[in-house]
Amino acid sequence: MTSAAVDLEVVTDQPGGTWATVGRHMLRRPDVILATLVSLFFIVVAAFPGLFSRTDPQHCDISVAKIKPQGFGHPHPFGTDPSGCDVLAQLAHGARPSLLLAFTVVGASLIIGIALGLLSGFYLGWVDAVVSRLLEVFLVIPLLLAALLLLSLFRNIDAGDGDFATIVQPAIVLTGFGWMGYTRYVRAAVLESKNLDYVRAARALGASDLRLMFSHILPNAIASVTALVPTAIAGVISAEAVLAFLGIGVRPPAISWGIMISSGAPWFTGGYPYLLLFPLGCLLATVLSFVVIGDNLRDALDPKLK
Amino acid sequence: MVSYVIRRVLLGLFTVLLVLLLLHLLTTLAIQLNGNPALAFFGDHVPTASQLHAVEVRYGLGDSCYQQPGNPCLGPFWHRLSEYAHGDFGTDLEGRPLTDLLAQALPNTLRLFVIVTITWLIIGMLLGSVAARFRGRPIDHSIRLTSVLIDAFPVFVMLVVYRFIFTVPLTTWARRTFGSDSIPALLFKPSYSEEHPWLTLIIPGLLLGLTGCAPFLRLVRAAQLENYNAEHVRTARSKGLSNAHVTAYHIVRNSSVPVVTAVGFVFADALSGAVITEGVMNIRGMGNLLWQSVQKSDVSVVVGIVTILSVVTIGVMLLVDLAYAALDPRIRLD
Amino acid sequence: MTETLTDTRADRAVAPLLEVDDLHVEFRSGREVVSAVNGVTFTLEAGRTLAIVGESGSGKSVTAQAIMRLLQTPPARISGGEIRFRGQDLLALPEPEHRAVCGEHIAIVFQDALAALNPVYTVGFQLTEALRSRRHVPRSEARNRAVDLLDLVQVPNPRQRIKEYPHQFSGGMRQRVMIAMALALEPEVLIADEPTTALDVTVQAQIMRLLGEIQAEREMGLILITHDLGVVAEVADQVNVMYAGRMVEAAPVEEIFARPAHPYTGALLRSIPRLDQKGQQLEAIGGRPPELSHIPSGCPFHPRCPRDEDVCRTDPPPQLRDLGDDRYAACHFAEESQIP
Repeated sequence: MTSAAVDLEVVTDQPGGTWATVGRHMLRRPDVILATLVSLFFIVVAAFPGLFSRTDPQHCDISVAKIKPQGFGHPHPFGTDPSGCDVLAQLAHGARPSLLLAFTVVGASLIIGIALGLLSGFYLGWVDAVVSRLLEVFLVIPLLLAALLLLSLFRNIDAGDGDFATIVQPAIVLTGFGWMGYTRYVRAAVLESKNLDYVRAARALGASDLRLMFSHILPNAIASVTALVPTAIAGVISAEAVLAFLGIGVRPPAISWGIMISSGAPWFTGGYPYLLLFPLGCLLATVLSFVVIGDNLRDALDPKLK
Repeated sequence: MVSYVIRRVLLGLFTVLLVLLLLHLLTTLAIQLNGNPALAFFGDHVPTASQLHAVEVRYGLGDSCYQQPGNPCLGPFWHRLSEYAHGDFGTDLEGRPLTDLLAQALPNTLRLFVIVTITWLIIGMLLGSVAARFRGRPIDHSIRLTSVLIDAFPVFVMLVVYRFIFTVPLTTWARRTFGSDSIPALLFKPSYSEEHPWLTLIIPGLLLGLTGCAPFLRLVRAAQLENYNAEHVRTARSKGLSNAHVTAYHIVRNSSVPVVTAVGFVFADALSGAVITEGVMNIRGMGNLLWQSVQKSDVSVVVGIVTILSVVTIGVMLLVDLAYAALDPRIRLD
Repeated sequence: MTETLTDTRADRAVAPLLEVDDLHVEFRSGREVVSAVNGVTFTLEAGRTLAIVGESGSGKSVTAQAIMRLLQTPPARISGGEIRFRGQDLLALPEPEHRAVCGEHIAIVFQDALAALNPVYTVGFQLTEALRSRRHVPRSEARNRAVDLLDLVQVPNPRQRIKEYPHQFSGGMRQRVMIAMALALEPEVLIADEPTTALDVTVQAQIMRLLGEIQAEREMGLILITHDLGVVAEVADQVNVMYAGRMVEAAPVEEIFARPAHPYTGALLRSIPRLDQKGQQLEAIGGRPPELSHIPSGCPFHPRCPRDEDVCRTDPPPQLRDLGDDRYAACHFAEESQIP
């Protein structure tokens, strides 16, 4: 016996529409607005350090060492470090390796993760088996530990100069152990979407595998993964600080906030607190703002958790 | 059930093998890229001839495969595996066997983890349950806000701030107010003390536990919320069972499954966090051993510890899988 | 468990088992207040079956859950009316007493047995949970009771099956388990909320037959909630039709099928596919049931009604009118018969 007189309801999922809603939802909150401004600020600092400091961070004059912050308008607004390098210049130029590393690592992990997730979820079979084994194996080794191991071994290898050269080793290592989360999310989303009616319909109409993957399944998967990105960026920035603290992060003579924290920390109680506080403050502000954005993005995309 | 256990254990062993292979491949590649393989183990140091020789023997660096980048060097791999099977994990720069060093360091790390687990349980489970129970009300919002804030602070930053900014003034104040050997003075000591192992570990453990408990808290809250509205809870209520009974048997019990699985994921992070904590606070545990070895470029120790910690992680994940099966009968029959 | 009702033989013979009087349930979502149940009234006697029929969103399940106090009370709220069991006002009872009355005397069976049963406990545990928790029946006796209950609902091999988990049962068997569980405390009223919707046709028939047998044996009052009029014909004595939270028709079952008085009922009947009408187009009711937050003005059915006149739109929604022979309908034109 069939049920009486119920109209067929066709469920249409419009991912395009949700982005506008998400944007509106997030920008309504003052903490998100503040966080966005702060992160944009630091991105600008990383991209154009020259705007913030005329001095060359590597031009260090030992005769002007350990000067306390003098305030803006003076030659050394944030003071100098024990080797005579200008702190503000270091801060401004130190932003770039940290942020460049973060964006590179997250970007590369994202691409790898999406590719592997799509392939394994879509084709299943042996592709999935291989990817799943890979996932398991890589997931077992904690990111930091892998980084410590590999970067210790790579210590002596010289990669040359230039922005990318300074970050290439940590970048490779962090990406190598950072793709797993995205793969899992994308794979799960693919498995879910494969059975949605509109995907089945498109396949019945003869859409090719690639077209199915990119036009129909990927948009659904992207939403779940996007929420991970800002928090991941924050994670890499913190990880770099730890690596730099141990001497295996960004390579000198390039400067990063991690290196500044590592050298500044012992001077805190010696009467030069600013050497630790400035880079720590920048690190904290950047990390916090990305985390706030990430959390709000996640909440906006998944109302079930409210 | 028994077949499930056997299968999971075999799978675990297989994963151990794969992980060891992966680590081996990575280290081999790094050594090959380094030009002079033996020197890779010494970083910036200049090793003595005997140290150099010891490393060459231990890692079979004489094998020509190390001169060819990309060669997986399976011969040395099997050799190393048999050494592991005999409990030989190499020595540090001074010739002390790694296993001895670890035996000394292990108790401290375990103590740290006890404090971390207690912190997770109390803060994570308690606050998560409260937030779920009073969902939507002010206390729920404030708990979630706090978890976001805690989450945002990387362990590293918290520890650096604590160690370099707070401990000295706090210890001085405590000493002046309570005396040099009093409990508060020891609590805030900037570094670990052998005579007072538990006291000097409490705050570092607390800080480490705090940073890890945020995802835990959120998970507990989400799992319980899902269960509050679940149909089987409605059924239980329709049978006239009391609120207490329903909560204990149908909500908490059912939310334990995702929570236990979470432990597996959080463990890897906790391990990294422990390394940082022990490193910054100078606690002589396994993490500190690793930390110091990295600083000293004692690479063979680094290799040994990372290997062991990875195996430990697999062990923990295996235990989590077994607990999961014990808690949720639906899995057992796969 | 002692009776919590002041009850005499005479009362038992006179007071109906369950009375629902002008029940109103609203849901508050943010600033919106939505009326899910709007003035439902009915009476249930022992040994009789009442069917509540309607599409999804008509308010039938909400009514059932309101009786058992299973609604989440924010956002839901019983905003008016009375619910009486053997003359006693259920809504006025504080929580523990309500649980006692409700748990012991009224039971409910849900649609999706897989979701409604707890996956981590054995069937045996769940069957006797209430017995052990409320009546402190010892474990060995409870085990025997569980076996008896499974026997009652005709589940083969009960001694073995009480040790199994819900996911190990087929759909039909699971539904039998649900029914057994509901009968554990020997209730006098059984509410079946879409008990067969998730099952296929042959199993449906078996379950309905089982319900009928059990009800007759125990002289229970049965409330059957469904959207399937076909199922109703076999089992019900009285039928209430609901639409958009209101009752639009109430009549004995023969009258509903022979002389439906409300256009909605008529349309429902016409849309049932019949074996003797092969080759003809299925008749559907155009449009969809309204969202409870946007119920049309006037008679809520008017946008889909074949006979949509001005008065249907402008006048307030029609109340149930007595048409004689125990028939009631909420339509301005109810007198005019609607031939199926």
